[in-house]
Amino acid sequence: MTTSHAQPITELLDAETVQSIADEVWPSLVGDGEAFVPLPVAPPAEVVSAWVTISGPWNGAVVLTCAPATAEALTESVLMTRPPTVVDAEDVADALGELANVLGGNIKSVLPGPSALGLPRIGTAPPTGRLDDVRRIDGQWRGQSLTISVQGATGAPHTERNEVPQQ
Amino acid sequence: MRALVIDDSRAMRRIVGTILKDFGYEVREAGDGRQALDVLQEGFTPDLCCIDWNMPVMDGLQFVMAVRANPAYRQVTLMMVTTESETGQIVKALAAGAHEYLIKPFTADAMRDKLALLGLLPEGVSA
Amino acid sequence: MTLTATSFDWVRQLVHRESAIVLQPGKEYLVEARLLPMAQQRGLSGVSELVESVRKTPDPAVTRRIVEALTTNETSWFRDGDPFTSFTSTVLPQLLAARRPDERLQIWSAACSSGQEAYTLAMLLSDALPNAATRVSITATDLSQKMVERTRAGRFSQLEVNRGLPASMLVRHFTRAGNEWEIAPALRRMVTASECNLAAPLPRLGPFDVVYLRNVLIYFDLATKQQILGRVRQIMRPDGWLFLGAAETTLGVDDNWERVVLGRGSAYRPRKGA
Repeated sequence: MTTSHAQPITELLDAETVQSIADEVWPSLVGDGEAFVPLPVAPPAEVVSAWVTISGPWNGAVVLTCAPATAEALTESVLMTRPPTVVDAEDVADALGELANVLGGNIKSVLPGPSALGLPRIGTAPPTGRLDDVRRIDGQWRGQSLTISVQGATGAPHTERNEVPQQ
Repeated sequence: MRALVIDDSRAMRRIVGTILKDFGYEVREAGDGRQALDVLQEGFTPDLCCIDWNMPVMDGLQFVMAVRANPAYRQVTLMMVTTESETGQIVKALAAGAHEYLIKPFTADAMRDKLALLGLLPEGVSA
Repeated sequence: MTLTATSFDWVRQLVHRESAIVLQPGKEYLVEARLLPMAQQRGLSGVSELVESVRKTPDPAVTRRIVEALTTNETSWFRDGDPFTSFTSTVLPQLLAARRPDERLQIWSAACSSGQEAYTLAMLLSDALPNAATRVSITATDLSQKMVERTRAGRFSQLEVNRGLPASMLVRHFTRAGNEWEIAPALRRMVTASECNLAAPLPRLGPFDVVYLRNVLIYFDLATKQQILGRVRQIMRPDGWLFLGAAETTLGVDDNWERVVLGRGSAYRPRKGA
């Protein structure tokens, strides 16, 4: 396999592409009129992340990161809950995970395939500020910090230069 | 009209289910392909199955193949509802016997358009 | 958030005036998300700065872009399926029988929006006729320059291809281009797009065998409807077919048309001797 004509993944996944995917995901999943606004605000002290892995010609993950309170508010919006109904940890894992899943599936389609998508995972390990983020959008939803990042898998053979081999 | 919504995400089952109920469907849910086959075996015969692709235990593609292999379910319309959107995957799902394919994210209008294409929009719902 | 309440109100009033669409309070984030790229392109720090600059120096081109950015008109592919079913089952076979093999059929998608109707016809024709590319030409026109450019590009977002396009047609006639889908070059070549204001004298077009003029007349008053129908009739072949939207009719507007029932819908043909 030659990688001499490899296209950097940063070119395939420019900020505009990731934003346009978020623009379609938010109204559909989070609610009518909702939007992910690409304007950074102060990052939260404590964070929760949900992510899906992509494995194929390129290996990595699509990660959604925000404060636990933002994750709960997102979940309430996705599940359309009304007071006094409260969301629990399982709901948050489910809703945040599905957001990461839908973002991830659409981001995967932009990359040369075929690739496989992992099932959504959720955790507190903050993947913020990693050097191998290939695309990272710090933004906000309803004024709260929210980050979408696409990260190359460390140590994976094809991703050392974050390039995707052409077919 | 009856629908079976198969997705491992409760949030997504809720979104798809709410849209279908608004169109007048009676909706049952299943969290993976295996559970969905159990629902069918219990005797719930839906007009439509909305099927996620990536699920634990049995994924959506395996479910489509299992349903298509059973002549008893010939009348059931199968629609993938998934974030998987590579051309090759859509082709694979259609070849396995899925009738339609709706890509996540989608709007209620998009679901209505697909149901209209499939002739599964209940009377009284305007296309 | 950089959007002030005053700026939001100004945008709301503008959009309502130009498109009759109501942006409810609470849609501030939507306005922010849709207009921020336009502000940044202009080197402005936020949406309120964009609004301020347009208020100070009014620019119709910019206000039009603001309205367009906030009023995504999502069009379905096989919108109201009947005009397409009857096109392939009745209209196309009759026209093919009536025309010489070297006569090119001419179809007009008037008010084409981003091109879904024109490309739906191109897909149906390429499936029905082996020589569709040389036998038929499709003219697509719209009032909006942006929509004409979008039709020419033949690229559609994920949300757009989700709207009533059969999956089998998606994989057969489109390829992925980033997170969008691009129509096959052979189909794109069948469609010629240009700007056209239906409410003004028409440019040299046609003569057309089939005209799709759907969900346009509803926006005009009776006198303008009559003018539009009259101009359309002048650039149609005498045995041509006109498709209107499901809620539209020539009855009681212009008597020079004959209504023909086709399947569950109807079409209109120029009345003989009119």
